[in-house]
Amino acid sequence: MKKHSAQIRIILALMALLCASPVFAQNPTATGVINGTLINKNGIALIFDTDPGGVTLGAAGTSAATLDFGAISAFGPLAPGVTRTSVTAVNYTVRTVFDVQVIQGGLNSNTYTLSAQLASALPTGFSFKIDGVTLANGASNIQTNAAYNVDVPHNLDLTVSTAAPGAGGPAVGTPLSTVINFQASAN
Amino acid sequence: MKVSSINGLVLRTAALALLMLAAASGVSAQASSAQLSINLTVQSSISLVFNDNPNVGSVGFCPLTNPGTNNVGLDLGSASFPGNFHSSTCVDYAHVGASFYQVSSAFDVLVTKSNSSSPSYRLAAQISTAPPANVVWLINNIPLNNVAFTTLDLLDSYGRPVTKTLQVQVRNNVPAQLLQETITFLATAN
Repeated sequence: MKKHSAQIRIILALMALLCASPVFAQNPTATGVINGTLINKNGIALIFDTDPGGVTLGAAGTSAATLDFGAISAFGPLAPGVTRTSVTAVNYTVRTVFDVQVIQGGLNSNTYTLSAQLASALPTGFSFKIDGVTLANGASNIQTNAAYNVDVPHNLDLTVSTAAPGAGGPAVGTPLSTVINFQASAN
Repeated sequence: MKVSSINGLVLRTAALALLMLAAASGVSAQASSAQLSINLTVQSSISLVFNDNPNVGSVGFCPLTNPGTNNVGLDLGSASFPGNFHSSTCVDYAHVGASFYQVSSAFDVLVTKSNSSSPSYRLAAQISTAPPANVVWLINNIPLNNVAFTTLDLLDSYGRPVTKTLQVQVRNNVPAQLLQETITFLATAN
């Protein structure tokens, strides 16, 4: 009887050791948490890119680029990327091509409408067209169902009067500049 | 006879004095002793805290809220795909591929050990909830999920800061919303 009790105690002790051993064998751990937050906003952005067939834009890839036609004339040489599409008795037109890329994020929109307008009155003897649409001081639609995230080429035509300075023609030999504002609206 | 009377008087006086002294000092005739046995088990333990990286404030290193603890905040501000927009000056913003943007910020993880002969530790992380479609939370380019811990490192050293970068990648078709996750880091002694 006494021997039997001793055996039971030994068995219980062994069981206790077996049960306890995994606890002691477990490697210690430590935890920490980082509460990360980000507000995802929607938006739409427009950038100008240089078109392979056009003049090289200044600050390409941004929304404030510059386009330099260089020296233009009815019959003389033109800068690379500039072509002369017509010459008549009253005017001539030079053309270059530039790309517009509109990017959207977080909007339920598949296309956009592009409009453009002159920032101020043009110098005498000039007129601009984009894709055949004459620009004015009010917004003019250029494209109504344009795709996002791709470079869309647009022709920029500058028509110059052949009249002499002071007679309806532009100033000669003087750098002239103008600003065209573009707007992309999600459809 | 006279001498013995004097001796008896002296003895009685001494006994009385001792009795009075005993009563005055509160000494009891009874005594007890006690023994307190102390039992304890020392266990190995490790701790994990997040700290600001020494480059905090510069691009890619935003400050943590409550740094030096194991429960910190990391505010990445607001951002959107178009125009590289991001409101925070400390996040690193980039476009990833044609349709994702990413904001990221780095911080330090410091794991220390006590009473342990463990030479190194493993580091893993898990996000708290499934993110919206086309949103990915990563640590050092390793995507996290809310199903299981994802191992980040196998042999990190104790007492040395380990710089980790939290990245959130968002596709440009994700509607505007607040994106938030609680990312649990787990360090396990090797």
